[in-house]
Amino acid sequence: MNRREALKKFYNVIVAVGASSFFTFDDLLALENSQIKKPNLIWLQGASCSGCTLSSTNIEDISFTDFILKFVNIIYHPNLTIHTGYDVQHTLNTACKELNNDYLLINEGSIPVQLPHACLLADIPYVEWIKKMAKNAHSCIGVGTCASFGGITDMHGMDTGVASIVQVLETENIQKPVAILPNCPLRPEHLVYTILYFIKFGKFPALDVYHRPKKFFSQTIHQSCSHYYEFKEDIFATKIGEKGCLLELGCQGPVTKSDCMITGLNGNTNNCIKAGHPCIGCASEHFPRQIMFRSYIDDRVITPLKKMNFAKK
Amino acid sequence: MNMKRTISVDPLTRIEGHLKFTTKIENSIVTDAKCSAQLYRGIEKALIGYDARVAQQVTQRICGTCNYAHAEAAALALEDAMGIKPNKNGQLLRNLIVGAYQIHDYIFHFYLLSVFDFINIEAITTYKGSNKNLVKMKQWVESEKKSGKIFPISPFLSQYKNIYSQDEKLNFFSIDNYLEAFEIMLKLDKAVAIFGGKSPHPVTIEAGGVTTTPTVLSIEKYKALIEEVDIFIKDIYLPNIIKISKEFKEYFNIGKGYANYLAFAYMPDENGENHLFEGGTIINGEYADYDLEKIREDVKYSYYLGNDNAKPLSSTKLTPIDYDRYKSEQIKENGKYSWSKAPRYDTNVMEVGAVARVIITYNKKTNKKLNALVDQVNKELNITFDEYNSVMGRHLSRAILACIVIDKLKKDIDKVEPDVNAYEEYDIPTKAKGIGLTEGTRGALAHWIETDKEGYIKNYELIVPTTWNISPRDAQGTPGVVEKMLIGTKIKDVENPIELARIIRSTDPCMACSVH
Repeated sequence: MNRREALKKFYNVIVAVGASSFFTFDDLLALENSQIKKPNLIWLQGASCSGCTLSSTNIEDISFTDFILKFVNIIYHPNLTIHTGYDVQHTLNTACKELNNDYLLINEGSIPVQLPHACLLADIPYVEWIKKMAKNAHSCIGVGTCASFGGITDMHGMDTGVASIVQVLETENIQKPVAILPNCPLRPEHLVYTILYFIKFGKFPALDVYHRPKKFFSQTIHQSCSHYYEFKEDIFATKIGEKGCLLELGCQGPVTKSDCMITGLNGNTNNCIKAGHPCIGCASEHFPRQIMFRSYIDDRVITPLKKMNFAKK
Repeated sequence: MNMKRTISVDPLTRIEGHLKFTTKIENSIVTDAKCSAQLYRGIEKALIGYDARVAQQVTQRICGTCNYAHAEAAALALEDAMGIKPNKNGQLLRNLIVGAYQIHDYIFHFYLLSVFDFINIEAITTYKGSNKNLVKMKQWVESEKKSGKIFPISPFLSQYKNIYSQDEKLNFFSIDNYLEAFEIMLKLDKAVAIFGGKSPHPVTIEAGGVTTTPTVLSIEKYKALIEEVDIFIKDIYLPNIIKISKEFKEYFNIGKGYANYLAFAYMPDENGENHLFEGGTIINGEYADYDLEKIREDVKYSYYLGNDNAKPLSSTKLTPIDYDRYKSEQIKENGKYSWSKAPRYDTNVMEVGAVARVIITYNKKTNKKLNALVDQVNKELNITFDEYNSVMGRHLSRAILACIVIDKLKKDIDKVEPDVNAYEEYDIPTKAKGIGLTEGTRGALAHWIETDKEGYIKNYELIVPTTWNISPRDAQGTPGVVEKMLIGTKIKDVENPIELARIIRSTDPCMACSVH
């Protein structure tokens, strides 16, 4: 494969994530020749499961290593970084000083605030690391539903009192641009697009009130659903496998904003609804709901289990 | 001169999640070790009040790497409470989802997380061949070195200074495989998504089967993906581990645990019987069936209040200690030190995972393919099961299992009937109890569920593979499995304790699971 062919492959990715309207082939060449600067990336994991990390390796057409070698400088990532222990603390502290205002801080997972010792790095509460690293970051990205809205780490009855990255920045009055990319797990296309936009313009694409990129989160799953026609025609499935809209089986599509039905998942291999399952609303601020999958005849009254709705400090 | 040192490594990178370990070293020998899980979320008790079917979706999100296993265990627990089994298609699709994800996980663990414990990454600068991956990597390293950056070659820099592979060919072969592993993982994620809806976090595994209805097309797509992975597993992954084992033969004697093993039956046929891997225990060399009544959990050294010796479902509340108490425990000589609990089997500390599954299934002689492969590998490496209780034994066992699982997937995909439902709906059982047992990538996994009069969750309990392995001391003060593996290890260079990192990574700890 010659250089031009290799670059073409990268360009396919830019097209696939929807960034070709602003990120041209010339931009790719400029990046290759170091005329455009690659952003430094520091990736930290709070109350997380590494699912978003694993999901971000699912970039269609190019390997993850190609992506990180070509588009970004990864200063630290818990699952990729070769060094360990004290060297990690040293790297983070050095980056904070030497790369002031010159790195993107990526936060995977939520941030325990009420029970600060519920997540520790070098015996220091994770929330302290986030504050410190965010203060010196250029911008921050919260990846996944836990980082965005608390997700499964913010269920009824939990003691940890988690906050999202946006909330920590607000509470601490750290004025840095911040974007969130909900979906459990993170959709790799969303991250790649956001980073490409950042490379080109030095800022995030247009965001909504929750700090989600409008490009991906302005429509509900329902609005772009392949069963939308059946919904309009009042054809509803009464059990799994039956033809029709899945609303009466508990589908969360109408209350969940994301573009799963437009771009598909795992390189458009499938999506939850196509796989016969009602949308569980994994990108929603209400995730997880008390009942995610109802049967048609389920007449139980939902008594909304109050999520803690983000701890206030 | 008698040298005493304490080494604390925090965080240990290239594992799932947050782990710190502290060792005391005297005359280069580890005399004491403590493993601290550094995360707590409290998911199992938070499930109380949610619909019983929510457990499947939420518990699989405990972990981004073994999500499929929690999904399966939660579905099994609810099916146990319902008193049902999935139909043939349901069981087959479930095998195809969990099997593909499990292989994904083995490759993720060996290449992304572990291979640079043995392989010299700097060897890439001496590469003179024409492999495009390696040439690309070499060019990148060279340009990084000249870049004048503060962190050149990041994240691939600064291994512990120690002895890595001296075999040039093996170094190049392994680095190339590391790069290819990403593409293989991508294929496996697609295979999972075909029947799981998406990957990670497949949604379709529900009590009653799998919600996807297979088609001729989806079956063919799955087959094509698995064929490509099959070649990687048998021609690259297993040989790669065997080559590394030959060069690092001493690691068949390093990192020895208690040699007490626990595994649950895993991967049944389409009727939910005749599992590919057997369940059971081995204690002091004696095989026996497992007895769930013997499982207890201690919290004496865990950051919780409450009783030791607790049976599953014996409490509906798990109370973490507050921040002030945490700080006071930190300065105590013998204080609490981990968010992980300490599960025990009677008083035995059990190891779970790949070695347990290989040895227990081999012992039962029900899987001829496994026994033949094990015999062949043991002969080639001149080892016995005694050497499986080691760093290399654990890496080797995973590759053996991957070979067996992929053959099963190739067989099962041919049995799937296109256009036949794989899911049947059953009412959620009220006031019922159920247990779901399976094997995750990292070993024996159990879910217990109890429902109330409306079918909401009344109580939930998880005992997870890494909780067994990474547990702190129990109420009697007996160290956990990984702690035991570390104690007695000889450290060549205390500034670069690669031996300890190799031991811990070989157990593939998943901290998010262990603390859940």
